[in-house]
Amino acid sequence: MNRREALQRTALALGYAVTGPALIGMLNGCKAAPELNYTPQFFTPEQALLIAELAEVLVPKTDTPGAKDAGVPAFIDGILKEVYPQADKDRFTKGLTDFDEEAKKTYGEPFATCSTDEKIALVKKHHEDALSKSSGGGSVGWWRAGSDGGKPFILEMKELTLLGFFTSQAGATQVLQYNQVPGPYKGCVPLAEVGKAWAT
Amino acid sequence: MNLNIEAQKQNTYDAIVVGTGISGGWAAKELTEKGLKTLVLERGRDVKHQVDYPTMTKDPWQLPHGNKLTEEELKFYPVQSRTYWVNQANKHWWVNDLENPYTEVKPFDWIRGYHAGGRSLMWGKQTYRLSDLDFESNAKDGVGIDWPIRYKDLAPWYDYVESYIGVSGQAEGIPHLPDGKFLPPMELNCVEEVFRDKLSEKFGRKLTIGRVAHLTAPLPHDPSRGVCQSRNMCDRGCPYGAYFSSNASTLPAAMKTGNMTLRPHSIVHSVIYDEQKRKAIGVRVLDANTKEEIEFFAKVIFLNASALGSTFVLLNSISSSHPQGLGNNSGHLGHYLMDHQYRTGAEADVEGFEDKYYIGRRPNGIYIPRFRNIGNDKRTDYIRGFGYQGGASRESWARGVAEMSFGADLKKSLENPGPWKIGITGFGECLPYYENKVTINADKKDIYGLPTLNIDAEWKENEKAMRKDMKESAAEMLEGAGFKNVRTYDVADNMGLGIHEMGTARMGKDQKTSVLNKWNQVHDAPNVFVTDGACMTSSACQNPSLTYMALTARAADYAVSELKKGNLK
Ligand SMILES: Cc1cc2nc3c(=O)[nH]c(=O)nc-3n(C[C@H](O)[C@H](O)[C@H](O)COP(=O)(O)OP(=O)(O)OC[C@H]3O[C@@H](n4cnc5c(N)ncnc54)[C@H](O)[C@@H]3O)c2cc1C
Ligand code: SF4
Repeated sequence: MNRREALQRTALALGYAVTGPALIGMLNGCKAAPELNYTPQFFTPEQALLIAELAEVLVPKTDTPGAKDAGVPAFIDGILKEVYPQADKDRFTKGLTDFDEEAKKTYGEPFATCSTDEKIALVKKHHEDALSKSSGGGSVGWWRAGSDGGKPFILEMKELTLLGFFTSQAGATQVLQYNQVPGPYKGCVPLAEVGKAWAT
Repeated sequence: MNLNIEAQKQNTYDAIVVGTGISGGWAAKELTEKGLKTLVLERGRDVKHQVDYPTMTKDPWQLPHGNKLTEEELKFYPVQSRTYWVNQANKHWWVNDLENPYTEVKPFDWIRGYHAGGRSLMWGKQTYRLSDLDFESNAKDGVGIDWPIRYKDLAPWYDYVESYIGVSGQAEGIPHLPDGKFLPPMELNCVEEVFRDKLSEKFGRKLTIGRVAHLTAPLPHDPSRGVCQSRNMCDRGCPYGAYFSSNASTLPAAMKTGNMTLRPHSIVHSVIYDEQKRKAIGVRVLDANTKEEIEFFAKVIFLNASALGSTFVLLNSISSSHPQGLGNNSGHLGHYLMDHQYRTGAEADVEGFEDKYYIGRRPNGIYIPRFRNIGNDKRTDYIRGFGYQGGASRESWARGVAEMSFGADLKKSLENPGPWKIGITGFGECLPYYENKVTINADKKDIYGLPTLNIDAEWKENEKAMRKDMKESAAEMLEGAGFKNVRTYDVADNMGLGIHEMGTARMGKDQKTSVLNKWNQVHDAPNVFVTDGACMTSSACQNPSLTYMALTARAADYAVSELKKGNLK
């Protein structure tokens, strides 16, 4: 079983699939001192800045809203505070600290204030590394990857970002499409007639 | 003395129904429509259709934390959350496990909802008839005892119930999965159609769209209920009343007669047995709010507190003539606990169909009726059989976590639906075993000071052998149909997780070996009827609730005619 197969296997029950080569998208916008658009309840201001910038690298603003527009940083803050048990909180914050340490060591700056290219490069390194090590997970529940059974910080962050983003109004209605009341089910329709993927 | 008589008169009805779930709602409707002044006792709060569905129209972004429970909230649901289904949108329908304890000798997931409507609000609506393959099975296999009824006894009541609640489905002419009174079937999607054709071609097996208690056309007799809009947010309560629940259907019908008194917060803990009259005369209620103990009286009592709930009430109804509980002269009350095993099967990738999609979130899937141990198919390793439920769909944005891309590329690629996947999971029959049982914990009390249930049950050899086949046959069919990368799974489930618990007060012909007769009357107390899952003599493999409804309507009809004849006083 190669890594790709392993990933596909893991991904199944959750509806994840691995497709396509890695291509890094171009980010819009120029470098500005990052600001928070909410008051964190769980993260320190420094941690919160990192989370916001990282979420935006994972799901950037393009011609449609990005993670920050969609309120993903506040969503992740809420999950950490209310949903995560203590052990997961500790693991996640440690992952976050290690990630930032590496940014400081490599670029001499905390992740949040690194340049866009630097941010992408660091994310790419962690992301590829994590996916190459991941080897199957549970068939129910959340992404569990990593040969040591742990969740690599970057994938956990990616999962939280996607969850927060695609359950947000912006993500569900502007990037994908959403209809609360679709009407009678039509089982076999040309994709061209439907357009984009359904958010749910 | 006078005061007592006055109070007793005030608390006297023609009939009492205990529980307002799928079966209790039907008892309430039938008895009130036949003119009986009926007291309906519900241990939980009242839930009015539409009015009390707080999350029914919430969009994903209006639910906190991506619909996940907080750590604090999760603490209330150590058992209920074993389903992985408890979330922000439906959390108010599951019992608080801390307040409703029971003990498990072996793991048993007792999944419940205590409120008006019971589990009719959260159920999956899959609706199938049993057939004589099922009613004759115990007698033929020499397992358990024979059912005291056959398909012909229930067929008119299946018709009656289906016509009233609205069941969407496709007539297939399968003898062991009889067709019903169907509203138009929901559509299969393109991939499911292919699977259906391949199954027929390669295996000679049927695949049909799930039969579900959803309206796919208006119901002339019940204009208050609307047609299903494919929202698939059913477990929050449906604003259209498009799926069957007690709240949308039977309870309003009962209310309309003017004959129903619905009393919420009323925990029935025992049936009152009058030693002089040598009969059951009423029930004892603990008011959940005031903790006051109240007695209510009636000529006819229907127990519909769910299989284990009704069995609890009977076991806890101790009198000098019934020291082991009412209906337990046989010693069989509480035994033969059954459920359906599932969460094993297979899934596969589907190549092609990239240019096809669907519109709507169909609250339904595909159904592959039982094909094992029928006709020429004879297994040597187990008896009985299983059906499959499942479906095909395109992967959602969630696939993005494992994608090699991130950033703008990922965002762009997730705008398209993902590849098609298909999966099926078995629902397998469970045999009745004397050792699988519930008893009363006299010393472990709940927050009301009432005794609790002790559950001691497990899957045995027949179920385990069947389970293996449920998994292997699923893979074989998906592979045979040409799907790719077929993977099996077996998420070993505890008993109870099928949420089809049944059988602890079984029907039978002989009062020495059964609790109920062929009309669902307690042998030892004929004015007490038990018409929920407790009455099941075998489990079959079909989702059972339709059968509970049909048995309830049939028993109510019988009860009223017996009352009129003066046979039940
Ligand atoms: C998520 C889920 C999916 C399901 N899917 C399906 C499906 O697709 N098809 C199918 O056929 N079945 C399905 N079921 C099972 C189905 O819900 C049950 O078979 C059905 O609800 C049983 O009906 P009932 O009347 O016996 O009990 P319930 O519906 O559980 O109702 C029992 C009622 O009695 C009340 N009660 C209990 N004890 C007392 C007491 N002591 N005093 C007063 N009141 C009391 C309860 O509060 C409750 O209101 C599903 C269940 C769940 C939870
Ligand atoms: S899918 Fe149909 S029944 Fe379910 S909530 Fe939507 S409209 Fe109601």
